[in-house]
This record gives sequence, structure tokens and C-alpha cells, in this order.
Amino acid sequence: MDRKKFINNSGRLVLLGGLAYLTGSIIYQRKVSASGKYVWQIDPFKCTQCGRCATECVKDLSAVKCVHAYSLCGYCDLCGGYFKPNTHKLNTGAESQLCPTGALNRKFVEEPFFEYTIDEKLCNGCAKCVKGCGSFGNGSLHLQIRHDLCQNCNECSISRMCPSNAISRVPIETAYLIKGDFKKPAVSTPK
Amino acid sequence: MVVSFVWWLAHDPVHDFSKSMPGKDNRPPRADSLTELVHIGEYFNAGTGVLTEGKEVWPRFRGSDFDNISKSTHKLLDGFGGKVPEILWTVDLGEGHAGAAIYKGAVYILDYDELKRSDILKCINLADGKLVWERGYRVTIKRNHGMSRTVPAVTEKYIVSIGPRAHVMCLDRLTGNVKWGLDIEKDYKTEIPFWYTGQCPIIENDIAYIATGGKALMVAIDCETGKKIWETPNPKKWKMSHSSIMPMEFGGRRMFVYSAVGGICGIAASGPDAGTVLWSSTAWNKSVVAPSPVCMPDGKIFLTAGYGAGSMVLQLESSGSNFTIRMIDQYLPLEGLASEQQTPLYFKGHLIGIEPKDAGALRNQMICVNPVNCRVPVWSSGPEARFGLGPYLIADNKLFILNDDGVLTIVKPDIKKYIQIDQIKLFDGQDAWAPIAVADGYMVLRDSKRMIGIKLAVD
Repeated sequence: MDRKKFINNSGRLVLLGGLAYLTGSIIYQRKVSASGKYVWQIDPFKCTQCGRCATECVKDLSAVKCVHAYSLCGYCDLCGGYFKPNTHKLNTGAESQLCPTGALNRKFVEEPFFEYTIDEKLCNGCAKCVKGCGSFGNGSLHLQIRHDLCQNCNECSISRMCPSNAISRVPIETAYLIKGDFKKPAVSTPK
Repeated sequence: MVVSFVWWLAHDPVHDFSKSMPGKDNRPPRADSLTELVHIGEYFNAGTGVLTEGKEVWPRFRGSDFDNISKSTHKLLDGFGGKVPEILWTVDLGEGHAGAAIYKGAVYILDYDELKRSDILKCINLADGKLVWERGYRVTIKRNHGMSRTVPAVTEKYIVSIGPRAHVMCLDRLTGNVKWGLDIEKDYKTEIPFWYTGQCPIIENDIAYIATGGKALMVAIDCETGKKIWETPNPKKWKMSHSSIMPMEFGGRRMFVYSAVGGICGIAASGPDAGTVLWSSTAWNKSVVAPSPVCMPDGKIFLTAGYGAGSMVLQLESSGSNFTIRMIDQYLPLEGLASEQQTPLYFKGHLIGIEPKDAGALRNQMICVNPVNCRVPVWSSGPEARFGLGPYLIADNKLFILNDDGVLTIVKPDIKKYIQIDQIKLFDGQDAWAPIAVADGYMVLRDSKRMIGIKLAVD
């Protein structure tokens, strides 16, 4: 084999290998979209509630919103997502609330349970409630990109700044990764 | 121009703002829960089990010496060798985190049975897990991150338990006969803590001590008669917390230290002034307090709580018969040793505990600190060894840590470095937060719905 042919074949081999690896890894990760369309989404188990979703989105009011997995919620009176730490008065007064925009609403269900809902018009995706819920509760509050608000930029400006690489493109068929249905990938248990 | 001015004048840019005021959650005034009449100890059922006489005891929360360190002479497993210890018995329980006490071969646990809608104190044979007897009373409890939460106090003659809604029951230890009952919520107008009563009672010299909150701060009750020996007034209206009373010897006095919602105090345990407040402080006033105070021989008291409260170190000083308390340090969970539920261990002059989830890089790691500076860990277990909200204790010079999901870890207790000996998935658990009990070579553990007994003794 002459030198030119060798370089050509090697190039083809490298190209084929790369393509095979790419295809294989996509198939392995089962992230192929049937429609070929992808959207940006946050993996709630990777998110570290850094607060950048509120400031880095190109929209004036971030397309990232807090969502609530009700099946995981403890409906607590003392909700770590709703109240500031060490609040003594558990009521809806602004001075007790953790949310800076008052986007988290609390309604009495029956003693001692309360339901928490999100007013998305007010939510700026700051994740303060998510951090509180995860630290002291079941972690039912988490962030998701709302696709009716997201511009689906070619390169999501939040994903560039996300310190935990929690934002990635997902198939449009599974556009939301809601806790409960979407579970943390299993890790090997200690022997 | 004029139109613009009129528009500017008439336009209210905050017209769609609303005030966040108290009461918007439609919470009704607190219902009077006194309508439910509870007959404490109203029924008894004999079981099929027969007690196998044991020698050792784990008679209450944190063991005989309130330090969570077993003094058992039994040699326990040095490691698992890849083999899961045999689970000798399993007892299904109502959802909760109540722990067991062990007394000479008998396991005592206060369970809440949802089908019977009852608090039930069970006496179980330690060797085989069979029910010897149970005594209960009907009371309505709703699920709220579990229902039962306490460990009974057991002596040769008596058992004292506190139920989720603060019903105190005193029984004869061997027969299960009722000595007396006390409805704290009703009698002391006590506000039950958020996740029900977590306070574990104590008995000393046949006297039961309960921190009631409400009309009194603490009461001493004769176990035989149920007669109140003393009551400590509660003029500041401190509330009952999830924390338990911890005895402390300092300045020639024995006192009961209690971390209430409102403050912390030391109450004389004996002498002519028994029941009086020797010292108190409102510097420590957290809305939720679950861990108990860690009282150290030099008068330091370590306090910690969850929900972002962090920790505080107090210094107790005595001058003659007077006591003064001052704060040495306070900090957030991110800044030093803290704990959300479990009470840290005091071991060889150091404090050992598991950091909460809001402790930053050290979250869920076990750390050891010198109480002189609780902000600087002497060691931490490292990012590869994180734990949950589960219990930990020392037995046979081994530190046993139970993770939320039933993973049991053995660590060599050391004040210089973290030395992990072994780890095994003992059972598929969920929220295994109840304190562990150890006696006669057995270990009794539980998750939210069942209790198990294993034998760890190698002798």
C-alpha cells in the first residue's frame, strides 16, 4: 500500500470509528428523538440550585420555572421550600417567605397538611425554594425549562454557565424530566 | 404632552401587586384537640413469646449513660467479610421512627398501629422477636413523616413511654400492668411539635422526668403512684421540642438540661431546690430542635438543630451555688459540625456527627471536631463516604452507622482520622432513622415500617 492510500484509508477508518462511536453512544443513552427534534431541559438530580437559571436566560423573566412533584411532597406545615430558615411564625406573611417574588403559594388542606403551588408568572427560577425543599424535605420542588416560554436557542445561555452540567438537549418526546416519573439513575450499592 | 402627563399621573405601576399577609393560606384557628378522650393503657394483649432471660440493658434513648456508647462486654463482629449478618427476626411496625429499649432480654418499643388506631407498647423477646405482650390505647394520629418517634425508658420495675400526641404511660415492666397515665396535651395545654412528640422520657431513682412545655417546663412524677413530685413553672411559655432531657453533672450539682422551643435551661435534679431553674438562656431559640444537648464535663454544651439553624456552643460556669451560661460560638451548618436529627457523639473529648444536607461540600459526611473549635473538622469521612439521617453509636469500640436505606457501616472510632472498616447492605430500608439499641450481643434496628434483630456477637 502506498503512502497516499494508507493515509486515505486511515482517515476513513477514523471517520467511521467516530461515527460508530457517536451513534452507539446515542443509542446507548436512548436519547434518540423519533421526530428528530430536541429541546433543552434540566436534570433535577444534577441541578445544584446555584441560582444562575434566574440570571443567565436570554428571556427577561427566565424560562426556567419551579415545578412541583406532588407525589413526592410531604405537604408539611413547616415547609423548607416555603419558609425562611428558623422562622417561628408559620404563616403567609412576606417576612416568613423564602421566595423573593412570592411565587410559591400555600393553602391549608387539613391539619397538619398544606398544599404548595407555583405561580409561574412570578417565578424567576432562582431555585431558593428548590434548595430549601431538597435540604429539609423530600425534594419535590425542582426546576424545569418551560417550553412554551423557552426560545430553544441553538446554544442555551444557561447551559453554558451551569456549573453542574445539568442542562442538556433531550428528545422532544420526553421534554420534561419531572421527579417521580423521572428517577435518578441507579448507582451501584455498596457491597 | 398633556395626555402623557395625565397618563403618568393616573397610571399605577404596581396596581397588580398584592400584599403577602398572614392568613392567606386559609388556615383555621387551631382546633381544640381535647375532644378526643384517651384512656391510656386501656387494653392488653398477651402474645405467644416467652422471654429469654438476658443480662445486659440498653434502657433508654442514648443508652445507660446517655452517651450512645454501649458498655457491653460482648465482642462484636470486626467486619462482615462480604456476608450479610443473619436477620434473626423482623417485626412489622406502623410507619415511624420510634426506637427500641432493651432490658434483660426484652425489647420494648412504642408503636402506632394505624389499623387499630392505637399507640401500642410492645414487649418482644430479644432472642426470637416474638411478642410477649402489648398494651395500648386508642388515639387518632395522622401520618406526618411517620407517626411514632420515641424510645421508652425502662428500669427493673417500670416502663415509661410517650406517644406521638404526648400521652405518657407508665407500666409495670414485667407484667405490663398500668401504673398511671398522663395526657400532657390536655393537662398542660401543650402544643404538640410539628412532627409529633420526639422527646424520650427518662427515669432516675423511680422518678420519671418529662419536659412538658405549656403550663409547666418540666415535671417529675413518682413512677409507683403517678404523683407529681415537682413542676417547674414556665413563665416564658417555652414550647416542647423534639429534643430530650439530658442529665448533666457540673459544679457539684446534678441537673437536667432541656433544649425547648424558646430557649435552653438547666433544672436542679435533686436537693431541696429540685425542679427550680438553675440557669437558662434564650440565645438558643430555634423553631425545630430534634437533637438533644451534648453536655461535656468541662461545662460546654453543644447544641444543634436542622432547617438551617446550625449549631451553638455554650459554656456553663459555676460560682458557689450560682450558675451562669454564656455563648462561645454559633454558626451555620455550612461552617461547622451540625446535625438535623441525630445527637452527635462525645468521644474522647471530641464530637462526632453527620453533617446535614445544607452543609456544603461536607454534606452528609461524618466529621469529628474538637469542641474548642467546632468549625474546623479534625477529620471528615470524605466525599466517597456520605451518610443520611440515620443513627450511629459506639459498641465494642466500633462505630456503627446505619444509612437511611439500610446500609450498615463499621468505622473505627478515632479522633485523628476516619477509618472505615466495613460496610454492607443489611436490608432494603427506607428512612431508617430510629436510634439503634445494643445489648447481649444483639443489635436492634429499624426503618420506617419494620424492626429487625441481628446478632453481632462473635462470642
